[in-house]
Amino acid sequence: MSFGERFLHNPDLFPARAGGEVWGDREIVLELPGGPYRFGGLSRAQAAIVEDRFGELCRPPAAATRLAGSPHALHGLAAGGQEVSCLLFRVEAGAFRTFDLRGWEYSLDCDATPAALRLAGLDLIARLDWRPSLGGALWTPDGGGERFAGIFENFCRVLVAYRLVELGGAVLHSAGVVRHGAAFLFLGRSGAGKTTISAASLARGAEVLSDDINALLPAPGGAQVAKLPFTGDLGERRSTRRHLPLAAVLWLEKASADELTSLSRAAALACLFSCAPFVNSDPHRREALLANLARLLPPPGGGGPLAFNLRFSRAGTFWSILDEKWSQLKPAPS
Amino acid sequence: MVTIEASTVLKRRSDVRFRIVDDEAVVLRQSVAEVLVINEIGARILELADGCNPVSAWVDALLAGYEVERDTLLADVLSFAGELTEQGLLEPVGIETPTAAAIAP
Repeated sequence: MSFGERFLHNPDLFPARAGGEVWGDREIVLELPGGPYRFGGLSRAQAAIVEDRFGELCRPPAAATRLAGSPHALHGLAAGGQEVSCLLFRVEAGAFRTFDLRGWEYSLDCDATPAALRLAGLDLIARLDWRPSLGGALWTPDGGGERFAGIFENFCRVLVAYRLVELGGAVLHSAGVVRHGAAFLFLGRSGAGKTTISAASLARGAEVLSDDINALLPAPGGAQVAKLPFTGDLGERRSTRRHLPLAAVLWLEKASADELTSLSRAAALACLFSCAPFVNSDPHRREALLANLARLLPPPGGGGPLAFNLRFSRAGTFWSILDEKWSQLKPAPS
Repeated sequence: MVTIEASTVLKRRSDVRFRIVDDEAVVLRQSVAEVLVINEIGARILELADGCNPVSAWVDALLAGYEVERDTLLADVLSFAGELTEQGLLEPVGIETPTAAAIAP
């Protein structure tokens, strides 16, 4: 099946460039890692939904521009050089196929070229273009209905994933848990146990950044984990102010007993790569992704994070094992 | 199945990218979005598979780093080269497999 056929009646009519009739005159700036991200062309209803969904992460355009140079704008204008601009356009609902969604696992159709990425999904047509800086366009027939929040978030997930690779980072399917003043990233594909790990960590009083997707970014003192407002079942969805040094990456395996074993850097890199959504499937950018991850995961002796394979059980004792290991191996303060 | 002999000249497939990390290699197969980890000797073989020198020349290069009889090392390298070829990381020179990008639509 060729690109777009799953979702569109006529994929050949996919827009060749950002253009069309915008939904309205509203503009919102989102302060997400790698941003600010400026979205124009929203209707009043769409803007209200975005503001409700992202809360304090939404800024009036003027305030956001001022914030970009502040310490709150981690890896924003100062690191990336410019904001990311996106526009929202109308498209006829009849352009999309209809589905019986029961029992269906949703994934976007992606088609990458050196200069662009095309996306198709449920009520969603989008493209990212590098001309040479990154910009985006989203076409949807939903002017502010019940599906719009999900459509907008799905577009943002892809946008942030690509933006962070540009900035030397990555977005990772992972559970991010704060302990000992640092972030532990539990990696695994869907069903690996990220939400189970998160719930067990919450029960021990730890903070969960997101149980589904977190950002890894370069910083002068080493890799940092930045909170993203894209969560599964657990985690605050309206704030991303938390960013912490990366303590360890842990590859999850469900087992009958808890066990922690060291992971080589090469194996850890492979795990990180396999958990980097969207970009790891892009033949034009996955090499850059792998290079980023290698830089973000220097040898532990050089101050880099620890890497483990974690076999965990329902007994929930993994944190005791991990705490003990951490006390033995934690990097010396720089 | 390709038979690998001491005189066979192998090269990395065009969609293979790899990065040496400590003693191992992280290998990326671009055409299938697959990432693999291979051990130290596999990493050295990937480096040596330049499409110019036969497998026997790899053995000469590797002998300096391993305390092992040449025949034993040759057998191991031939076996490993066969595995890497089976996995689609190496191909004999002159028997090129089209990559995804080279396949006509």
